[in-house]
Amino acid sequence: MSLRIAPFLPELLRSLFKKPVTVKYPFEKEAVPKDFRGTVVFDPAKCIGCNICVNDCPAEAIDIIRVSETEKKFKMILHNDRCIHCAQCVDSCPTKTYHMDLEYETAAFSRWDLKIEYK
Amino acid sequence: MEYKVSLGPQHPALHEAVSLRMTLDGEVIRDADLKLGYSHRGIEKLAEERSYIQNIYLTERICGICSHSHTTCFTQGVEQLMELVPARRGLFIRTLIAELERVHSHLLWLGVAGQEAGFESFFMYTWRDREVVLDILEWISGNRVHYAMNIFGGVRRDIDELQRKKILDSLDLLKKRTDYYLNLAASEPTFVGRLAGVGKLSREDAIALCAVGPTLRASGIASDVRKDDPYAVYGEIPFEVATADSCDVLGRAVVRVKELISSYAMIEFLLKNLPEGPFKVKAPRKVKPNEVYSRYEAPRGENVHYIKSNGSDKPERLKVRAPTLANYPATIAMLKKGFIADIPLIFAAIDPCICCAERLVQLDDARRGDSRVLSFSQLRSMANERAKKIDFKKRKIAWPF
Repeated sequence: MSLRIAPFLPELLRSLFKKPVTVKYPFEKEAVPKDFRGTVVFDPAKCIGCNICVNDCPAEAIDIIRVSETEKKFKMILHNDRCIHCAQCVDSCPTKTYHMDLEYETAAFSRWDLKIEYK
Repeated sequence: MEYKVSLGPQHPALHEAVSLRMTLDGEVIRDADLKLGYSHRGIEKLAEERSYIQNIYLTERICGICSHSHTTCFTQGVEQLMELVPARRGLFIRTLIAELERVHSHLLWLGVAGQEAGFESFFMYTWRDREVVLDILEWISGNRVHYAMNIFGGVRRDIDELQRKKILDSLDLLKKRTDYYLNLAASEPTFVGRLAGVGKLSREDAIALCAVGPTLRASGIASDVRKDDPYAVYGEIPFEVATADSCDVLGRAVVRVKELISSYAMIEFLLKNLPEGPFKVKAPRKVKPNEVYSRYEAPRGENVHYIKSNGSDKPERLKVRAPTLANYPATIAMLKKGFIADIPLIFAAIDPCICCAERLVQLDDARRGDSRVLSFSQLRSMANERAKKIDFKKRKIAWPF
C-alpha cells in the first residue's frame, strides 16, 4: 500500500459537522437494556429461608434474618456497597424471590446509606 | 558514560504501577530490569476460601478487559474436574462472548497504540467505535465490563432472535470501520514511521523467551491455543491464525487488526450456526479430588489456570498465569538497544495488564541489595516480630479522630 499525505483528514473534516457522540450524562440519560443488572430487589413473601443466596453471593452482600419465631417470615438486608451486581442470587434462588431492576444511579455520600432493608 | 535511571512505579507513560530500572548509554537502553509487586491483590489465596460458584466472579475480577477470559479458563477447568459436558448452545454463546471481548480489547489496544504513537485522533475514533461492541455486550449480558455469563455447564443467559439480528447489524458497521483503520494505519506515513522498527523481537528470541499472544505471532510464529488445543467450539470454526513477519510494534498492530477481521467472521459463523437446545446443564456443587490445567487464548495471549480440588465445594489451590507475565522477559529483550522515548510504545505493544500478572510478594532489602520471596506465614511472623519491638507507651500516639 502506498503512503499518502494526511489520509485521516477527510474523516476528521466530516466529523467536524456531525453532532457529538458523547451524551451529556446528568442532563441526558441513556436507556439501559431490559436485561440490565441494576439493583437487587427482594420479595419477602416468597422467601423460604434456605440461605442458598447467602452462601452463593460472591460479595457477601446478603443477610437473611428470620423475623418471627412462630411463622416462616424473613427479611433481607442488602449491603449495596458490597454488591457486585452479578445476579447470582437471582439464579440461585429456588423460589424466584429475587430480580434485578434497571436502577443504576446508586451513588451515596456514605456507604451506610446504601444499605437496603426488604421486610 | 552510563547512567542508571528508574522509571515508575507511578509514571504517566505506564498506566499501571510497575517499576523499570534501566542502564542508559546516552538515550539508548543498555540494560533493563522490571520490578513487580505494586498491585498485588492476593486473589489466589482468596480463591481457596470461596466456593466454586463464588470463584467464577472472583476470577472475573482478575482483569477488567479480559474478564470473560479468566472465567472461561476457570469454568472449563472446573467442568473437566466435575466430568461435566456443557450444553452445546451454551458453548456457542460462550465462544461468541469471547470473540466479542477480543474485538473490544483489540479496538481498545489500537486506540492506546495510537495515543502512545502521538496519533490522538486515531485513539478517539477507535474508542468511539468500541462503544458499538460494548453496547452489544451490555445488551446480551446486562453489563459493559463484567459480563458474568459463565456458569458450570453452560452460560447464564440465552440469546434471542432480536439480539442475534442486532449483533449482525452492528457487525457490518464494525467491519467497515476496521477495514478503514487497516487502510489508514498502512497509509499514514507518520504512524507507520513511528511504529516500524521499534521493539524488535526476533523469531528465535520470541521462542526462547516464551512470548505469547500477538507478541509471539508478530514474530512470525503461528501459535494460538484456539488452533493448537481447541477448547469450547473453536475446533468447528474455520479460521486462520494471524501472523506478521516484521517482528516489531507495527507487526503487532497488524496482527491485532487481522485478528479483529477474523473475529468478525467467527462471530458471524457462530450466530448463523447457533444450535437449538438448552443453554446450560445442571452442575454438582462438590468436586472430586483431582487437578486440572486449563488453557485459553485471551486477547493478550495464552491464559493458564491450574486448579486442584479436594472433594469439597472449595478449590484447594488456584494458580493463575496471566499472559502479561509471560510477555515480560520478551519486553526486556525488546527494550534493550531501544530509545527511552520508545518505552511507552514497547510496553503498550504487549498490551500490558500489570494488575492481572501480580502473583507473589517479593521483598527487597535496600541495605543488602538482595531480594527474597516470602510465604504468607513468614510475612506474618515478620509483622508480629516488628509489632513486639514497638514500645507503644513511649510513642504516645493519639488517635486523630
